[in-house]
Amino acid sequence: MKKLILLLIAVTGFTLAKAQDTVKTTSDAPLVIYGSVDTYYKDDFSGHANIPTYFASDNNSISIGMIDLGLKKTVGKASFVGELGFGPRGQFQSTPNGDGSEANAGNSFHIQNLYVSYNLTDKFNLTAGYMATFIGYEVISPTGNFNYSTSYLFGSGPFQNAGFKATYAFSDKVSLMAGIFNDNWNVYTSTHDVSTFGAQLMLAPVKGWTAYLNLATGPSSGTIFDLTTAYQITSAFKLGLNAATFTPAHGGGGYDGVALYPQIALSKAVTFGLRGEYFESKSTDENPKSHVTGLTATLNVKAGPLTFIPEVRLDHKSDDFTTFTKSDGTLTNSASQFVLAAVYAF
Amino acid sequence: MISICLLCAGVASAQKSLLSQDEHNKYIYYEVVDAPGTTTDSLKKNADGFIANTYPKEKPLKSDNFSINIKDKFLTYSSLTKHETGEIACALTIECKDAKYRYWITDFVYTPYEKNRYGNFVPVTGIDLPLEKATTKISQKDLDALLEQTGAFCKQTGEKLKKYMKEGDKVKKTDQQPVKKIVTDKW
Repeated sequence: MKKLILLLIAVTGFTLAKAQDTVKTTSDAPLVIYGSVDTYYKDDFSGHANIPTYFASDNNSISIGMIDLGLKKTVGKASFVGELGFGPRGQFQSTPNGDGSEANAGNSFHIQNLYVSYNLTDKFNLTAGYMATFIGYEVISPTGNFNYSTSYLFGSGPFQNAGFKATYAFSDKVSLMAGIFNDNWNVYTSTHDVSTFGAQLMLAPVKGWTAYLNLATGPSSGTIFDLTTAYQITSAFKLGLNAATFTPAHGGGGYDGVALYPQIALSKAVTFGLRGEYFESKSTDENPKSHVTGLTATLNVKAGPLTFIPEVRLDHKSDDFTTFTKSDGTLTNSASQFVLAAVYAF
Repeated sequence: MISICLLCAGVASAQKSLLSQDEHNKYIYYEVVDAPGTTTDSLKKNADGFIANTYPKEKPLKSDNFSINIKDKFLTYSSLTKHETGEIACALTIECKDAKYRYWITDFVYTPYEKNRYGNFVPVTGIDLPLEKATTKISQKDLDALLEQTGAFCKQTGEKLKKYMKEGDKVKKTDQQPVKKIVTDKW
């Protein structure tokens, strides 16, 4: 038995040594596994949860986000990505239950990304399937965000768009995506048809600065214009911006919003960042216009693949925007919370 | 058996030691190769052929009668999950003389990758780290992993180059050997 274990160790060691001997320089990488796990504790200073944005939702509880598990493979010009989420963040908080049919009403498919992709040329790519949305600054995966809690813009916009898209890169500095997507956001199956048109213009005017101008419009899903941009101004300082305006297809309302994300690296392990957001709900026949501002101060403390995220958030709203209550239950226009999260990426 | 394990682990970590530092304290992979009986012209012709075959879409940064210089880059991977962790840009120079040539790979600049919303690993915009200064942004452990992969890449590139410099265009032909035919009605 001892000899067998030693033999296995030797074979494993030899395989690793051999693998490091050869550097992969083509795109035909092996099957790649990636993902993350996240967990958090939140304390709303009122004693109960007030701020209604996504994730970090449980108050005074050590709670889980999700285990995010992705597989991808590229052979020649063809690729696939399959990414699954298990846990509140990866299931009911960010993906639909079932495909709209009654039999699947309580059945999570866990799918965050499921698509196939083909490079017709070095510059022209076709992709089809269920994909994370191209709209917005923040994302579902905790490894893709600096702050652990999310913005009102994130929660109001699409999470996923299922469809078919073509992307052409004119150069490293300009690319254009256009596609046709299911009639509604965040659905595995269209309600009627595939009628949302989406487009994204990517510009990289100077080194370190990328900007995405996004549009999604359809007779069911409404129309959203979105600007998402980030500029790494120095090696330590990064500034991000997200602005969006949304008009529903029917019934009036919608929203406008803008969020600014300055971040500064204090050391190679510690980065400090702020998120300042202004979000406004447009008026409807029933409701007047209302708004909220949010200020979030966040640290990212890295220890290898693990990131600790302590965060303090202060939100202030107008009278007609949602409901915040004090510890005694009386109404207030301010809410604040502390979150400590840990995210492990692999 | 234990010594086999240690030997294997040693092979993996040996790649890092293939790199040296030049007079400007920059990491460099450097080798002088004897090529008895060859001329500067014939070696330069093979060097040009190697560059044209290996980098068909790239233009050399500099080329004269005895030397050629081109940019290159390679991807780095995580050790267990094998996803891209970044890319390292570098520059390859080949210099030829009668009966010998030398080549070096240097100017290593690391660009880390991050996972985007679609599950693809893409460059972090605006972050370029010369390997010599990388510890200002990444841990020594991560740098060691990069140096190991850099050493392995340089060794692999050097071996390909030396084969081409020795055999010239024959390398391409021998790489595409026809399938051996067997006539089954004869024993």
